[in-house]
Amino acid sequence: MRSAYNSIWLYNLGIVKEAKTWLKSGVISAESFNLIAGEYKSGFYHPNVMIRLLLFVATLIGLAGVTGILVLMFQDALDEIGPYLSIVYGVGSLFILELVFIGNNNHYKSGVTEALLYHSIAFICIGASSMFGFQSSESELYWIFFVCMVVFSFSAFRYLDLISTICALGCFAYLVFFIMYNIGGIVQQLIPIVFIAIFTPMYFLAVSLKKNSAVHLWNSCILVLEVLSLIFIYAAGNYFVVRELSVSMMSLEIAPGEDIPLAFVFYLLTVLIPITYLFFGIRNKDVVLLRVSLAALAFSVFTFKYYYSLGHHEITFTASGILLLAISFYLFRLLKTPKNGFTRENVLHEKWAASNPEAFIISQTLGGNKVTVDESFQGGGGTFGGGGSSGNY
Amino acid sequence: MRIEDLNELREKQLINGDQHHHVGRIITKEIFSVYYELRILLYLGVILVTTGIGILIYKNIGDLGHMLLIGVLSTLTATCFWYVFKFGRDYTDEKVKAPTPYFDYIVLLGSLLFISVLTYLQLLYEVFNDGMGATTLVTAAFFFYIAYRFDHVGVLSLAVAALASFWSISISPQKWYSGDFVSESNLYNTAIIFGVIVACAAIFLDKKRIKTHFTFTYINFCSLIYLVGALTGMFINDEDYFLHLLAVYAGCAGCIYFAHLKKSFLFLLYAFVFGYIATTFLIAQLGLDDPWLWFMYLKASCGGFVFFIIRYKNYFKRAE
Repeated sequence: MRSAYNSIWLYNLGIVKEAKTWLKSGVISAESFNLIAGEYKSGFYHPNVMIRLLLFVATLIGLAGVTGILVLMFQDALDEIGPYLSIVYGVGSLFILELVFIGNNNHYKSGVTEALLYHSIAFICIGASSMFGFQSSESELYWIFFVCMVVFSFSAFRYLDLISTICALGCFAYLVFFIMYNIGGIVQQLIPIVFIAIFTPMYFLAVSLKKNSAVHLWNSCILVLEVLSLIFIYAAGNYFVVRELSVSMMSLEIAPGEDIPLAFVFYLLTVLIPITYLFFGIRNKDVVLLRVSLAALAFSVFTFKYYYSLGHHEITFTASGILLLAISFYLFRLLKTPKNGFTRENVLHEKWAASNPEAFIISQTLGGNKVTVDESFQGGGGTFGGGGSSGNY
Repeated sequence: MRIEDLNELREKQLINGDQHHHVGRIITKEIFSVYYELRILLYLGVILVTTGIGILIYKNIGDLGHMLLIGVLSTLTATCFWYVFKFGRDYTDEKVKAPTPYFDYIVLLGSLLFISVLTYLQLLYEVFNDGMGATTLVTAAFFFYIAYRFDHVGVLSLAVAALASFWSISISPQKWYSGDFVSESNLYNTAIIFGVIVACAAIFLDKKRIKTHFTFTYINFCSLIYLVGALTGMFINDEDYFLHLLAVYAGCAGCIYFAHLKKSFLFLLYAFVFGYIATTFLIAQLGLDDPWLWFMYLKASCGGFVFFIIRYKNYFKRAE
């Protein structure tokens, strides 16, 4: 089995996209770019992100119309063979996607393809789930998640789809969690350790796959695997996650003065994992590790503040803000001349970084300081919640 | 990209030796940029500091320490502005490249701190007699000045938001999704007028070639404010919806025009989404209640739309 798309075209598209970032960063001239684009041709219909969104929305609405008509037509049969029809419909849409859009019209992630893909995944999964009778018993629930995982993995593999990759990994993690959770007893306590034991090899697998040129088409899916593995490893060791899950799901009761079992291990992991990420991120110049480590560090700080807060959030905010500003200014000054290859200059444009979206994020997250002026003065508190991380990843 | 791919480009004579060397150093991680990481840290720092100070002021208003607080804040603000005026480049109508990678954030921090000081003074001494309205207007004016002086799109968007909030149009994320963006009576008409005026000003400045890279931010805000306003007007006056319906269509036409002008497809998306909602509303008002026809409508409209874009894909591709 292989990807649904023409692999030479995919390779060429990758090169041209890369060359475009060079063009935007002023490394190559427009003529060189045109030469490269002429040499590395791809026949895909792969529009820009806005058109993709437009097509996605329009296709979904249109598909809803088609589904509605079919439901009306097969209304009577639905009670008896509904699940089978749903699966047939899902698989049929997949064939239309494959033959009409990818095969004949050379669509590649055009918005139409995603819409059709998620549409058929949804119908296949819903059909399969209702065949198992939704939530009748635990083992059937496992089957549902197993089927979803297989369907998502298939779609991630064949259509190089990132959201499917995320969902497939989510299903997998959920399965592992619930199988162990339902066994009960000591096994429940082992969940964090098993998660770390599963996702650590997964991470190294992703890293080694990235270097393998045979699978370079799947590089973005592998990147998702890499990032999610790091996040799962961190979350499994994080004190906040472990404690809150233990309390809410395993009905653990923590008397005042007591703590969760093996608490010190989780305190240690909460601190050590981000620092390890950061250390290896810097040492290996690994941008994925570096960025995940920053997010993880922020969450670790939150974890400790959550349980050991002195109650003055405003002072924490201000102090940590000043600290962050100080650290980053210091690093900017330090890297004025590159050290060990680290530079503060922007050497290549990231494709998601542009000043207009950045400005929008700034206005939506920092506007609170002045909008509150006319609302009897609520401080900037409300602006903090959503803003921080959302724009940056 | 792997280094082999780059070598292949070089062998095919598509890039020259310098370019190969430059990109090759990045691919082999001989140089490694932490530009974005450090900028994100700065951004988080600015958020935390300004949020913290905002709450600090709110909690300690009237306490003995306020002279101290004002002193500290003023010093910080003054330091920021001393820095940006000393190292900033002169004003031009063109885009100005920041002298250092962190320059933008000092401008941003200084502006936000200045506003904190202003708010604080207003609450303590009532500098402006008629209360908060004037403060907001002064804030907006100040942000506009800073945005143009130091060529800062972020501060510009804060300025537009402040100006809108002077007219009681609040554009923060909470308002977007809670839907009370223009719940007050007739505020939607204010939003429509505001949108039109800002759009005219933006187009005028664009034609004069003054900071043309600011036009996107202006049009983004005013088209959203205008379209949401017009759509709300249409839903609220469902007896007499026709004028607002026309207003939505006019706005969509404007968005499409702007999308063509600037090759920015975000506005095409706005035009489609708002236009589609308005048209669907119109059909519902005209008394279409047969579900079968509704399905046909959904199917036909979206199918037609997808077909249209793909059919004319060359046009869209060229414009990219």
